[in-house]
Amino acid sequence: MKLERITIENFRQYCGKQRVEFAKDDQKRVTVIHGINGAGKTSFFLSINWCLYGKSVENIKVIDNVGELMSKEAVNLAAVGETIRTSVDLSFLHNGDRYLVKRILHGVKQEDGTVRVEDTDTFTMMRTKADGQAERVNNPIGTMNSILPANVREYFLFDGEKIDNFAKPEAAAQVKQAIYLVLKLEILERARRHLEGLASDYRRELKNKSGQQLRDLLEQEEHARTEIKKAKERAIELHEEIESAERKIADIDKRLREMENTNILQQQRDRIEKELKQRRIEMEEIVNSVRDLATAGYFVVAEEPIKKAIQLLEDKRARGEIPSDYRQQFIKDLISKMVCVCGRPFTDGSEEHRTLLAKISHGLPDALQDEVLNTCAVLHAFEQRTEKHRAEVDAFMRRRSELIDIIRSLEAELDDVSRQLKGSPLEEISRLERQRENFKTDIQENNIEIGSLHTRIDDFTRKLTDLKKEIDRARRDEKRETLLSTKLDLAQRSTDAIGEMYQTFADDMREKIQDKTKEIFKKLVWKESHFQDVKLGPDFNLEVIDRYGYSARPELSAGERQVLSLSFIMAMSRISDEEAPLVMDTPFGRLSSHHRNAISEHLPVLASQLVLFVTDEELRDEARQNLEARIGAEYRLEFNSKTSCTEIIPLR
Amino acid sequence: MQKERLNNLFETFDPAIRNIILGVLDIEQEHISMERPRVKDQIDEIVTAAAKKEVERLSVEEPS
Amino acid sequence: MDIPASRDTVTIDESVHYIYKDLTVGTDPVTVPFKTMKDVFLWAVALGYKRGERRPITGKKVTIFRWAQFGPQTDIPVLRAITLADMNDISLLLSQEETLNVIEEYANAGIHDLRAKLIDETGQPLWNLQALL
Repeated sequence: MKLERITIENFRQYCGKQRVEFAKDDQKRVTVIHGINGAGKTSFFLSINWCLYGKSVENIKVIDNVGELMSKEAVNLAAVGETIRTSVDLSFLHNGDRYLVKRILHGVKQEDGTVRVEDTDTFTMMRTKADGQAERVNNPIGTMNSILPANVREYFLFDGEKIDNFAKPEAAAQVKQAIYLVLKLEILERARRHLEGLASDYRRELKNKSGQQLRDLLEQEEHARTEIKKAKERAIELHEEIESAERKIADIDKRLREMENTNILQQQRDRIEKELKQRRIEMEEIVNSVRDLATAGYFVVAEEPIKKAIQLLEDKRARGEIPSDYRQQFIKDLISKMVCVCGRPFTDGSEEHRTLLAKISHGLPDALQDEVLNTCAVLHAFEQRTEKHRAEVDAFMRRRSELIDIIRSLEAELDDVSRQLKGSPLEEISRLERQRENFKTDIQENNIEIGSLHTRIDDFTRKLTDLKKEIDRARRDEKRETLLSTKLDLAQRSTDAIGEMYQTFADDMREKIQDKTKEIFKKLVWKESHFQDVKLGPDFNLEVIDRYGYSARPELSAGERQVLSLSFIMAMSRISDEEAPLVMDTPFGRLSSHHRNAISEHLPVLASQLVLFVTDEELRDEARQNLEARIGAEYRLEFNSKTSCTEIIPLR
Repeated sequence: MQKERLNNLFETFDPAIRNIILGVLDIEQEHISMERPRVKDQIDEIVTAAAKKEVERLSVEEPS
Repeated sequence: MDIPASRDTVTIDESVHYIYKDLTVGTDPVTVPFKTMKDVFLWAVALGYKRGERRPITGKKVTIFRWAQFGPQTDIPVLRAITLADMNDISLLLSQEETLNVIEEYANAGIHDLRAKLIDETGQPLWNLQALL
């Protein structure tokens, strides 16, 4: 993040619109803003914070008292009922894009001189890409979190008053927090926690599913297939048995035909069986015909509504709403030719003319008329059709009755023949006949069994279709299950990976910060020979070790503590990849001149952009000189006690 | 720089794992200023997408 | 002829689907007389009208066939007649949608009658059906 420009409007003691351009060159990267105490340094500093983060971001309070944000002078100057606007525009660069962030607050001047401020301010973020196109950023908080999150801002937008916070003995928690946030340890930790949470959710979900389901279904499918196969095989067997029995019967018949004593009876039997076969075929045909007629014969049952419909249509016709004999077009033709139906011409206004006109005006739209005419005609025909249909069915039913009788009597005749043959005194004949009878019975039984096998096959086939649907569904579930178990695996392994590497990473970061802090601290502090080391232990205590190996903290002067803190801040700035500006509000305020000089010498190198709010006291002589070459922009804040307004005056 | 460090931190791991972690880290970064961010769904999406790829990858390798 | 476009699917209540299946699935014409769902439906409509009851479909709807299956010589005229007799409005002759609504409701009532008369009664379904003529 590199600040470009800020425009402050009616913010605290900044009246009207005022602007500061920040220095951002590589060479000249320092902006210095002078002001005596009370001139407005803190307010300016606040304006940056307010612009980027508002009055409070996710429980982090940025501004304590929003009521005092609006410029008092602007409020004074406003008329009652007039709206006062407070706004801060900030443009900055980040990763090659330019961002423009704007926060606006409105308030209305009240009669009693106060201002009623609206509850929420308006915050917009625009991004201009390299190609010049500007677009509104939809997720400003998320975007700010990627650039400079609210909870690490205090390490970059740095309040000089808090300068020695990190070096205090009780600062360990703060140090840890700072490192966690700035160096992304916190996000690692959160990532691990959340992934672990997800993994356990997946595990729970997976347990609830049963892979058993698919297995059962497949078993059922196999069973169904087996049953079908068995049934088919059995049916084939039975058919073969039937065929064999039939052959045997044929042999017996042949024999009986040949034998003198039996050939007449057998011939009789042959004849009867032939006829019986024909009758049975005829019976089957009749059944099919009746079936066709019966299923199509529903209209026979609809006599009543048909009659009623005809009535309705006739009614309409009688009332002249439907021309019975001719269509409208026809009528129109007649009228245009002024000729009557019978060919006689008529005159305009005559009786015929008027009748025809009436017929048109009472008529219905053509389409409907066609329908009506058609329907009417067809419905009329139904009466006859019904009679005919019934007659047909009755005829078939009568024939069926007849056939039943005929078949019965034929069967009786057959029984008779069989009885005679069985009762023959000749043993061979009765034996043959009895055998024949047995075969016949076998065939009958087999046919019955075949019938039930077919039903069984049909049932199982239908079951197979149902099973297939269920199996497909279970397969799909199983696929989801495979996905789920893969998700579990990945989530768990990710969790473990982070767990494994976290400590390494944390230790690594801690060490880097430690080393960098030490490096900077050494540069800045003259008593370096006294100090052996700077340690940042696992407990996150920032320690300075003297050459005897003991903690030198008690011996640190206030200034040295402050420098240590500052060193820590700067170390973090270097190590993290937040290319973030260091905006420091009176950083030197409490340092000794030596420290000031040392810091001012090294500071510009340690930050990619530096904005310093200083009193004249702070920046003098050597300190000033050290910074000089790097200063790219310089302003003075001048407070006008009459208007209570601060003016920003550019100095270079 | 930090991002690079994190990338490298997990370079010895399976690319699928690495991608998940880096994706999740991005999401966490976006929500870092929130105390209790609702990121579960987004993270689940990342894991699901990675899992789908894995399943596909494995089914291609499996003899049918 | 300009008949306004409307739905052309014939639907029944899911809860009676099994009756339609019972009457059409099988090979023996004596026990399973109907060849198509349409045939069952038409009988159900006729019996529903005879009963004098229109029963709106309250459950999930299942499409069993399309309007185009209806024969123009018999089916359409009879269905029209039933609709006319029910609604008393000849403009309905042009509305397929209205006709469908009416006949579906009659079928929804009539199907139970059909089942009772064919399956619940003693005797084979085909002969029971024939007896209705």
